[in-house]
Amino acid sequence: MIHISVNGQMQMIEDGVDPKTPLLWVLRDHLNLVGTKYGCGVAMCGACTVHVDGKPVRSCQLTVGDVGTKAVTTIEGVGKTPIGAKVQAAWVEANVPQCGYCQAGQIMSAAALLSHTPNPDDSDIDAAMAGNICRCGTYIRIRRAIKNAGAKSV
Amino acid sequence: MKKVSIALAVVVVIALGYSGWLYTGHNATSFASGSTVALEDYKAANPTGVPAELADKDLVTRGEYLSHAADCQACHTEPGGTPFAGGFAFNMPFGTIYSTNITPDKETGIGNYTDAQFLNAVHKGVRANGENLYPAMPYTSYTLMTDGDALAIKAYLFSLAPVSSPAKVSNLKWPFNQRGMLPLWNVMFNSGERFRPNTGQSPEWNRGAYLAEAMGHCGECHTPRNVAYAVNNHRKFAGTLTAGWHAYNITGDKESGIGDWDEASLFSYLHTGHAEGHGGAAGPMGEASDNSLTFLTEGDIHALVTYVRSVPARNSDLPEKVKTPASASHKEGDAVAGLDGVRGEKIFAGACMSCHEWTGVSPVTHYATLTNVRAVNDPSGTNVAQTVVNGVDRQTPQGRIYMPAFGEGYSDDDIAAVSNYVTARFGAKGATLTGKDVADLRNQASQKKAATKEAPNG
Repeated sequence: MIHISVNGQMQMIEDGVDPKTPLLWVLRDHLNLVGTKYGCGVAMCGACTVHVDGKPVRSCQLTVGDVGTKAVTTIEGVGKTPIGAKVQAAWVEANVPQCGYCQAGQIMSAAALLSHTPNPDDSDIDAAMAGNICRCGTYIRIRRAIKNAGAKSV
Repeated sequence: MKKVSIALAVVVVIALGYSGWLYTGHNATSFASGSTVALEDYKAANPTGVPAELADKDLVTRGEYLSHAADCQACHTEPGGTPFAGGFAFNMPFGTIYSTNITPDKETGIGNYTDAQFLNAVHKGVRANGENLYPAMPYTSYTLMTDGDALAIKAYLFSLAPVSSPAKVSNLKWPFNQRGMLPLWNVMFNSGERFRPNTGQSPEWNRGAYLAEAMGHCGECHTPRNVAYAVNNHRKFAGTLTAGWHAYNITGDKESGIGDWDEASLFSYLHTGHAEGHGGAAGPMGEASDNSLTFLTEGDIHALVTYVRSVPARNSDLPEKVKTPASASHKEGDAVAGLDGVRGEKIFAGACMSCHEWTGVSPVTHYATLTNVRAVNDPSGTNVAQTVVNGVDRQTPQGRIYMPAFGEGYSDDDIAAVSNYVTARFGAKGATLTGKDVADLRNQASQKKAATKEAPNG
C-alpha cells in the first residue's frame, strides 16, 4: 500500500497500483483530483505541474512510488496557501484564461516562482514559466497577473 | 651511401618497433601481474560458462544467459527490428557496414551453419563462405570464448524463430572495402587464443576478466584504437569516441576515469545502468545495460567490478567533475556569453528546466540530476548533444527511464547552444559546439542512410 500526502491530507492508494504509475494518473484516476491536466505526457508542456515540497514538478514524469514522504500540492489545494490565493485572485482580476486547459499548470508554476522570488522581473518570469505552454497565447495576461500578484505580496 | 644505409636501418628499426608496439597492444589482459595457464590447467573455480546458479539449466537457457553476457543483440538488431535479425549500421570514418542476420533462417541467416562454421565466425571472423568478417564483429574479443560457451550461444540462437532478413550492402571506401586484406590484419591483431586464466589473480578477477574480455567486449568501445583501427591496449579502457558517442575512461584515474567511484556505485551502474550521484547510461551504454548487463547475476557483476578496478589508471584529458549544484537562480552561475548563451538559456528554460532545475538537481528523479555526471563534465559536449538529440528511453528492472528526444524538434544550432549552456552551467567547462558539429554527431550515430533534411520550421 502506497501512502502519499496530497494537499495536507495523507492518502492511501489502493492495492494493485504499480509504484511506477505517474503521479498524474494517481491524482486524476484514483484520488479524483482532475484539476491537474494531462497535456503531452513527456514533460514538454507543463499542464500537469504540481508542487512537490513546494517545487514545481511535472506529475506525468514523477512516479507515485518516488513521491515518498514529500508533500504534494495540486491546483485544488494551492488556493489554501497565501501565495496561491493571491495568484488565483490576480488570475481572476486579469481574466487570464481563454480555453483554460493549461491554466492549472500555469498557476502552479507561478505560485512556485512567487514563493522564492516575490517580485519577479521579466527574466525571472521567463526562466520559471517558459516550460508552460499556452496554445491560446495568454502569455501577456499571465505575465501581468504574476506581476500584480507579486506587487500585492510586498 | 653509408648514410643512406644508416637512415634505412633506422627506418626499418622504427617500423619494426612500431609494428611490435601495435602488435603487443592486442593483448587485453597483459597489464595484470601473475602468469597465465591454459584453462584446463587452472584449478580454481571455472571462470568460464554460466554462473553456478544456472549450471544445471538446459543448454538453450545457458546459451541465452551467455548471449546476453556477450551482448550479441545490441549490434545484431536494427532499431525497432526483430532481435538478432541484423541491419544495425556502423558508421565509421571510412564508410558504413551493417550487422547481419543471426537468426536460424536458412537463406538469409545462419540456419545452415555447422558448429565448426559458427566457431570460425566467432573466433576467427571467417564466415561460412570463407569470407572474412570486418572486425566490427568483435571476434578479436570473442576468440577468448570457450568452444562450449560459443556453441551454447549457437544453441540459443537456433532456438529462435527464423527471420528472413537479407544482409544490407556495406559501403566502404578503398582500401577498407578489400576483405582480402583482413587475414593480414588478423595476424597482427587477433590472437586466435582461448581465455587463459591468471594464477596470480583471484578467481573472481578471472571471472570478471572472462566476462569483460571474452564476452562483454568492453574494450571495443572504451579502448582507443590504433592506426590500423585495432584496439590499442596500451591505452586500455582510457576512453574514445565510438559511433558518435564518447565511451568514457573507465580506468581508475581519479580525474578523468572512475577512480572517485566507490564499489557500490560501480556495482549499481553496471547492474542497473545508473548510480545515484553519477548519472545513468544513455546511448550505446544504455543499450549495453538494457540488452546485456542487467541480465547478469549479482555475482557476475561483482566479478566485473573487481576486474575493471584492477585496470591501471590512465589520464585522458577530461577535467575533474564539478560535484556541487549550480545556483538556484538562472541569473547566477557560469553561462555562455553572447547571443549563443542567450539562446541556450532560453531553450533550457523552456525544454529542460522543468525536470533538471536551474540547480541541475532534479526535483523529479535522481536519474535526471546533472551534477557530477561525466557527460556534463566533458568539455566536448558530445554526449550531452547526443542525449538531447536522441533522448533516453530505457526499460530497466527498476522501471522506465525516459527523456524526450529533442532532435526532431530543434535545429542543430539550437542543440549546440543548449549543449554549450548545460556544460558551462553544470559542468567543469563549457563546450563550444557549432551547428555543424551537431550535424556530424547526428550522422555518426544515425541508423539512417543519410541525415534527413530539417523541416523548414524545425
